Amino acid sequence: MSDMDPREAEMDSLLRRSMTAPVPRLSPDFHQVLSRELRRRSQPPNQFGRILLAGYGGLSAVTSIVVMRGQGLGWVAIAVMTLGPLAALELARRLRRRQWGMAAK
Amino acid sequence: MIRVDSDSQLLARAQGGDQEAFAELFRRHSDPVFRLALSILGQGFAAEAEDVAQEVFIKAHYALASFRGEAEFGSWIYRITFNQAVNLKARARYRRPHLDDTVLSHAVSAEPGPHSLLETAQRNQSLSECIQTLPEVYQSALRLYYWMGASVAEVAALLGVPENTAKSYLHRARQLLDGMLKEKGYSYV
Repeated sequence: MSDMDPREAEMDSLLRRSMTAPVPRLSPDFHQVLSRELRRRSQPPNQFGRILLAGYGGLSAVTSIVVMRGQGLGWVAIAVMTLGPLAALELARRLRRRQWGMAAK
Repeated sequence: MIRVDSDSQLLARAQGGDQEAFAELFRRHSDPVFRLALSILGQGFAAEAEDVAQEVFIKAHYALASFRGEAEFGSWIYRITFNQAVNLKARARYRRPHLDDTVLSHAVSAEPGPHSLLETAQRNQSLSECIQTLPEVYQSALRLYYWMGASVAEVAALLGVPENTAKSYLHRARQLLDGMLKEKGYSYV
């Protein structure tokens, strides 16, 4: 940093004088908190939760199909509208995973 | 003799499901990740920087299988940190004004008298505001170098750029700050 002109050297000195506050450190329990959080997120939903979720998903799909059929939509259109969002969701998940894999490129 | 595994060795073990290897990787990188997040968010945001660090390691844990090792583990995780912290900062700007760098209000003045103290405080306040208008990489480089005392090599490693680029970030940031302060009518020479 010795190749500075006098003005830049003054700014360098001003920044050194100004930024003098103590630097915070990571909390000592950071690693424990992180391990706990990872364990919590890695746990699969319990059996009851899974049944409830599947029941809710199934009921929603049936209701949507009945309503769409009542509106006179054909089976092909109903299939596209029901399965389309699921396919889009899966595609988005795969893209996101790929993106994270390439984050450092 | 103690065997010290390299990041890539630990990574290979972590990708094979070795939790201890992953724990060692994040122990190695947690401090730099926290410092990088803090350098982007600014002083007074230590808790948020810690949240960013936590989120980064959780994301890294889930993305580990898809990491193909084209880059160093460190560069990869620092890139995730940079993006995560910049996103958080952008979201926070909509909720509340970003706090000033109180780092600058701690400046010690050798000049006596209330008038010069007030002048110094006002100049520091202006400097803080100017820093916050700089591009994120310049802000981060300045805080890492001047506030946290990182070397140019460390700044370069954390920002994932060559050392010369890190030097030019600092040089450009000083030039921009000089111009901004001059425009505001402050003299510090």
